[in-house]
Amino acid sequence: MRILGGGATDVGRVRSNNEDCFRLVQPLNLFVLSDGMGGEAHGEIASALAVETVVKHCMEADSNASAPLYGNPPAGLSAQTKRLMSAVHLANRNIYKSAQEHPEQAGMGATLTALWISGDALSIAHVGDSRAYLLRNGTLQQLTNDHSLVAEQVRRGIISASEAEQSEMQSVLLRALGTQAEVEVDSEEQALFARDLLLLCSDGLTRMVTDPEIAGTLQAEMDPQKAADRLIALANETGGIDNISVIVIRLENESKGWFSWLRPGGRKHAGKNGTAGGH
Amino acid sequence: MPKLSLMFEGKTVKEVPIGNRPITIGRSPDNDLPVDNLAVSNHHARVYYEGARLVVEDLDSLNGTFVNDLRIERATLHDGDSIHVGKHYIKVDASHDAPMPYDMGRKAAAPAINETMVLDTKARREMLSQAAAMGERTQFASGRIKVPTILVLSGKTANKEYILTNKLTTIGKSAMATVRLTGWFKPEMAAQISQRDDGYYIGPGAKTPAVNGTPIAGPVRLNDGDLIEVSGVRMNFIFRE
Repeated sequence: MRILGGGATDVGRVRSNNEDCFRLVQPLNLFVLSDGMGGEAHGEIASALAVETVVKHCMEADSNASAPLYGNPPAGLSAQTKRLMSAVHLANRNIYKSAQEHPEQAGMGATLTALWISGDALSIAHVGDSRAYLLRNGTLQQLTNDHSLVAEQVRRGIISASEAEQSEMQSVLLRALGTQAEVEVDSEEQALFARDLLLLCSDGLTRMVTDPEIAGTLQAEMDPQKAADRLIALANETGGIDNISVIVIRLENESKGWFSWLRPGGRKHAGKNGTAGGH
Repeated sequence: MPKLSLMFEGKTVKEVPIGNRPITIGRSPDNDLPVDNLAVSNHHARVYYEGARLVVEDLDSLNGTFVNDLRIERATLHDGDSIHVGKHYIKVDASHDAPMPYDMGRKAAAPAINETMVLDTKARREMLSQAAAMGERTQFASGRIKVPTILVLSGKTANKEYILTNKLTTIGKSAMATVRLTGWFKPEMAAQISQRDDGYYIGPGAKTPAVNGTPIAGPVRLNDGDLIEVSGVRMNFIFRE
């Protein structure tokens, strides 16, 4: 399968700094997104450290499969999923350590949602309230559970999904990277099919733009980069109360036609990096 | 207000409105809805709102509680459903809105939080139990663990029983499908079941599944005991305790 990706981040219309961070590592088909929190500029430090740690750990493991695994990932998962979970555990340690060593960073933390694709196997590792979605057959499905207080209340039947959307407690997380020495990391493995579309995003998108609007935009815009830009524009049009980050990944059937050898460089895609602050 | 009507031999014997307290059903006279029949246990079942959902729960009765003729431990009720206990049946009228008396209190108690924050384990437990106390009726339910399960009734699949552990469960011939269909002419991905915060939803893939005999147009929420038919396979969706 051919994998095309695009991503973008924006400070939004209300905040003065962007604490989100994302990266597309296309040689590995690894996609990482993080939303930082903490006073001053510490949210930016936390999210950048989270993304950097995950990417570095996965790249190292790509060339050396026997690199140490962190956080005892459960047996029964693929090596790829275990590696991705290990990377998230390591990111948690690095942020926590940094906050311990620098008292001014106390209380900083970050969400992290990462996708790693090899062949038709998708691995997901996730902590916090950023989201991964799958658009398949016109249906948008969330592949991650939000680790937020309101989502937990919905799961326990205390409030309804529509009450959760109105709640003033939406920013309260139950889990994040860097706030405790160890963290529980969610994992998920899925089979992918041609024409599947994956979306990674921070809550700055999902709080402003409804699921049908997201699905409609993804279906209307074939180019992943343009789709990501349009989703960010939509979130800003409706208020842009938080930083917005979006990664769009499109899976296409690899051409096996008679003339496919004539098409040059069909599989090569330059990596694209994005960081908070836009350098 | 939604209500329960106790029926016996075609006649309404008693009606009780469903408020914010659970309605208990049983042979003992201290029940909200006493049913005088030897086949009914002293405290047989109860009906209550869990969020916006109306739920019936069997209280380990001897002869069981049935919803639309299917034996249940716990099930979501819909308008027009009938609950059978002993020789009686209870008609569910949920055509009116669920009562929301605790709503005001909950909103007043919740301070607005703009900055993202993380609760530590202790604060989290306190907040959740506080929230649970406001919706008092949910305490009973939260103690039980429900395991969503697919039981294959007929058709060719790799296994006969699947526990749904993933956010997304695919049904199809693909080697990576959870519920793997075997045999000729089966689609790679026939249908899929996704777990959302408020329940499990089945959606179409290459085929349009039918739920309880009705083909679905888009994702449909699955209830305990629903019958799913897709690509020549018949399955039961149930919650195991």
